Amino acid sequence: MSAITSRALGESLRTRFLGDPAVGILSLLVVAAVVMSAYEPTFATTGNVTNIVNAMVTVSFLSIGMTVVLIAGGLDLSVGSTMGLCAGVAAKLLTYGLPMPVAFLGALAAGAGIGLLNGLLITRLGIPDFIATLAMLGIAGGVLLYWTTGVPILGYMTPTYYYIGGLTRLIGPITVPMILVAVIAVGVSVLLRHTRFGVMFYAVGSSPTGALHAGVRVARVKTAAYVISGLMAAVAGIHIAGRTTTVPPLIGNGYEITAIAAAVIGGASLAGGKGRVFGALVGALTLTLTRNIINLTGVESSWQAVVTGLVLIVAITANQTWSVLSARSRARALTRTISVSRAHAPSTRREGMASEAPATQRHPETTP
Amino acid sequence: MSTTRKTAARVLGIDGVPIVTALVIVTVYFSATVPAFLDGEGLRYYLNEEVPIFIITAGLALVIIAGGIDLSIGAVLGLSAGTSLLASMHGAPVILAVLVGVGTGAAFGLLNGLVIVKLRLNDFIVTLGTLNIAAGLLVVLTDHVQITGTDDARYLAIANHSVLSVSSALVLAVLVVAVLQAVLVKSAFGRRVRASGAGASPALVAGVDAGRTKLYAYVVSGSLAGFGGVLLASRLNSVQPGMAGGYELSAIAAAVLGGVSLAGGRGAIWQAAVGGLLLATLKQGFRLTGVDPLVFSIIIGVCILVGVIVDRSVYRLALTLGSPASVSPRPEPARASGGPGR
Amino acid sequence: METTSAPLSVGTIAGPAPLLEMTDISKRYLGVQALDHVDLVVRQGEIHALLGGNGAGKSTLLNVLAGLVRPDAGSITLSGEPVSIDHPREAQKLGIVTIHQELSTVPDLTVLENILLGNETALTAQGALFLHRRQMARRVQPLAAEFGITAAELWRPVAEFGALKRRAIEIVKALAAEPKILILDEPTSGLEDHEKSLLFEHMRGLQRRGVALIWVTHHLDELFGLADVATVMRDGRTVTTAAIATLDQGRLVSHMFGGEAAELLSIPGAAERPADDPVRGRPRLRVTNVSRPGILRDISFDLYPGEVLGIAGLAGAGRTELVRALMGLDKISSGRIEVDGRVRRLSHPRRAYRAGLAMVPEDRKQMGILPEFSVAESISISRLGSVSVAGLLSGRKERLLADSYISTLGIKTPSPREKIRNLSGGNQQKAVIARCLNTRPAILIFDEPTQGIDVHAKAEVHRLIRELVDGGTSVLLVASEFSELISLSDRVIVMNRGSLVGEIPDIHRRVADQGIDAVKHLIIDRASRAEQ
Repeated sequence: MSAITSRALGESLRTRFLGDPAVGILSLLVVAAVVMSAYEPTFATTGNVTNIVNAMVTVSFLSIGMTVVLIAGGLDLSVGSTMGLCAGVAAKLLTYGLPMPVAFLGALAAGAGIGLLNGLLITRLGIPDFIATLAMLGIAGGVLLYWTTGVPILGYMTPTYYYIGGLTRLIGPITVPMILVAVIAVGVSVLLRHTRFGVMFYAVGSSPTGALHAGVRVARVKTAAYVISGLMAAVAGIHIAGRTTTVPPLIGNGYEITAIAAAVIGGASLAGGKGRVFGALVGALTLTLTRNIINLTGVESSWQAVVTGLVLIVAITANQTWSVLSARSRARALTRTISVSRAHAPSTRREGMASEAPATQRHPETTP
Repeated sequence: MSTTRKTAARVLGIDGVPIVTALVIVTVYFSATVPAFLDGEGLRYYLNEEVPIFIITAGLALVIIAGGIDLSIGAVLGLSAGTSLLASMHGAPVILAVLVGVGTGAAFGLLNGLVIVKLRLNDFIVTLGTLNIAAGLLVVLTDHVQITGTDDARYLAIANHSVLSVSSALVLAVLVVAVLQAVLVKSAFGRRVRASGAGASPALVAGVDAGRTKLYAYVVSGSLAGFGGVLLASRLNSVQPGMAGGYELSAIAAAVLGGVSLAGGRGAIWQAAVGGLLLATLKQGFRLTGVDPLVFSIIIGVCILVGVIVDRSVYRLALTLGSPASVSPRPEPARASGGPGR
Repeated sequence: METTSAPLSVGTIAGPAPLLEMTDISKRYLGVQALDHVDLVVRQGEIHALLGGNGAGKSTLLNVLAGLVRPDAGSITLSGEPVSIDHPREAQKLGIVTIHQELSTVPDLTVLENILLGNETALTAQGALFLHRRQMARRVQPLAAEFGITAAELWRPVAEFGALKRRAIEIVKALAAEPKILILDEPTSGLEDHEKSLLFEHMRGLQRRGVALIWVTHHLDELFGLADVATVMRDGRTVTTAAIATLDQGRLVSHMFGGEAAELLSIPGAAERPADDPVRGRPRLRVTNVSRPGILRDISFDLYPGEVLGIAGLAGAGRTELVRALMGLDKISSGRIEVDGRVRRLSHPRRAYRAGLAMVPEDRKQMGILPEFSVAESISISRLGSVSVAGLLSGRKERLLADSYISTLGIKTPSPREKIRNLSGGNQQKAVIARCLNTRPAILIFDEPTQGIDVHAKAEVHRLIRELVDGGTSVLLVASEFSELISLSDRVIVMNRGSLVGEIPDIHRRVADQGIDAVKHLIIDRASRAEQ
């Protein structure tokens, strides 16, 4: 039996891996990188690659957090503002002369607090996710603006902070943020895929009722997802304050779009229940690489925002098409196995009828 | 529940009572405490400043009632201001310049509507994407600098003409709100908007083309954002990148404060406009009392939350009070499951 | 699976001491008394049937026990210990497991993950942080295999499976949790005979092990020989609790519906209807070779003026899908639909209404009503032209229109301005019918028209359908209750797995000749035969 189980496991891994849009996107990126390095000599230089990776780090933190929230069936529009506020907290506390660990703990506490507030507003007061986090976007942004009186925070950099910002390298091309991203990515990935809590995130996003009936504390799980997102925004904030060496009050503006786009490119679904950390990283890489290519090829930099917006829309379109197509092919595969089994087994009516449910594709407008 | 509380709840349950009450209280408070508040010049000035927000709030309210949301309106308003002003600067006659502005908005509304309805994508995400596109295009259009201005006096008069000591822009805003409110309650289209928002599936079964209705709502919202842009450009005679950024937050706050339900199907245009007026009054009052204008985005965020919470509790109260006819058992909403928003 | 669980049983294993006592449970929802001082006593090793009509309060009571609903008053004791169940999780910890009526599996998780989701403690070492999926798969496998879930299928997401497999998954999930009290809410709906008997066998096995089972079913014939005790509920109250041996079906029905209502249940008006076929003219609706991949296969039939054509079939046969396709709610891949001899492309409900069709949909709450609309607005929405003056909606005309339907259909509402969500189920349904009638349909489709409405409203809807047909309207009727379908239809077509498998003309004469049971059996036979 263990042979059967391991074969089944193998098959499930294979379909999970090959059936994963993130893998396809990654191969596209590799092709793009190869083409770029052939035509643009500055692309493959150590400097540029470090640049790409460093810029990707910020987005990666945010998109990992966003992926967790999306899996749990939510959406966090406040991550950009939260990142900015946490960057501000870290920098301000340092300028007050507090030791670095205290400053960072302060930033992390601020991020977790905002995440907790988001979660409570959504699960306890029943405010829709979009609205609660949109309001929080305004509030966190406003707090930073008010606190800094609109003036950038300066003069908090220390030699250690240059390491954390990724401006000073650790060994060879390796920087601290790279290691941090790797550690966090592996940690969150293990949390999601190999612990009971991970299963609960997927359960809550996929079907809140089903999860509730199974005894999952839906509200708590969802709140936990927002706290994780807030923490990730704080980590991103600590990092970006080191990377840019100054914290202008609007530092986080627009990052929520990048984070959502990255998560969605990586296969997370706004419908909940889907998404992986690996996908989030691929998404972050896609967006960073796109921007880098725009810069290097000399396209007017003012087009960047336009491109990010387009990428977001294209990404969710592709995501949606993908899930519709795979649902269709699943339904077809199911019908095939049924007709095969019908030929062999006498009692197949159950399965024959079972095929109807997933194949149901109702009129476009009736599916919300 | 005591009768007085019941009566109080009934009165609060009447459409528009909470928001108008709030506006009256805030106005009276500031009039009593801030002497400069009732100054005619100041009033006129701040109302003029808020005209674009009133106009996009009306369009946004329509979209929300139809069951959607439009985050792109602020950026679209800014872009339309840019295209319209540039058209006028390049010598386009006033009519054409207006049409360019409104057309820009309409095109974005159509784009939003088509992508959301035909590709069945999430409205928040799509309009977040078009927000970025419109804001980016304004940067491209202005090339990072402020552009100014047109010599066409007639173009500048659109917003700045004085009618009975009120600016023409304000008159136009009131007109827009009134017309849209009439469309909502008196036209078949308005009825379909409410039906689509109240429930896409049952509306479809009842023969209402919910998709097309929503699409039109987005076009209306986009066009109004374009019109708001024209008024803004006409008033300022200059356009810079990032202009009108964040207006969508103010408009959402205004609509929500005005009792427009984000669940769709419920609300009125005029109440959303009153919500905008309340926000503007708060802003002006705080400004005069010396509160740092930088906190406005905090106030707006808090207003959104308060609006949603108050709306939900008033609605629940109305449900519990119900009517003598209510005898159907309703399923208890699952306690632990999160918000309805997905 | 020999883990004897927590020290909850207080040495009363052999005795008749109750395992579960629910006393004086009350619950009010927004002005509706759903539970009114309900008592329920369940003993160890007992199969306890919980019976009652729609809206009797069974589900609410079970939801209280499952931790989904908090009662306003009353107490629950388990083995004599008072307990409070605030969340499904607590219920699980106490060993109370529910197989819910509506499917409650999580589609994006694998079958295995679904099974373990509710039963972490049973399947992993308690408190273990990491999952050992393989180990769990090995443990669940034998039980899963009994219900036709293969080892490979344990690793597939539940989304890939149909409703019936999901039901099996749900049963395995519940059994794997090793419950002390197992609640089964209509567990057999949609199951095949051999699966039913398998489930029943498991129920007996659990019973022998001392598990208490609470079983909700509408199939009264299943009870005898399996259940020990029955509690009957009506209108949120417990009517009686008695040993099943002392009861028969007739007694149960009169308990469930009250004496007077029991008469309503007997086939209404079957005898009064003319036995002869309506004069067939040109078909009003002609459906030719309509197909939708995987859903509908080559459906052809005619519908004549002034007849009721019933569509029979089991769950999943494609009846609702067929009428949805006719209304333009689902797209068909091939086939032709003619109305009064004209070919119509019904790609959207709007076109269907224009062609003279109208539909009272199933699932009134989700598909039927627009909860925010007033009664008057609900009636006019499908034909706004009927209440417009010069292109503008006229409130006066709308009110007049509503008033006329309110009086002719007997819709009970304080005023036409009342929100439709405040009406009772039966009155909401009448308002939906009024909306359809306002479009002046030649063909009216009823999909489960009496689902979830009380007996009196049901009788009124039946009367209305007959009046409509007598007035010349053609009616297409989908109803799961065979007696209802037979008593209302002039002719019945039978669907089985997306195909039309038979037609039974002249229903009323057949009923008169052979009796209703023979006709019922004929239909069930066609509808459930595996080979065609």
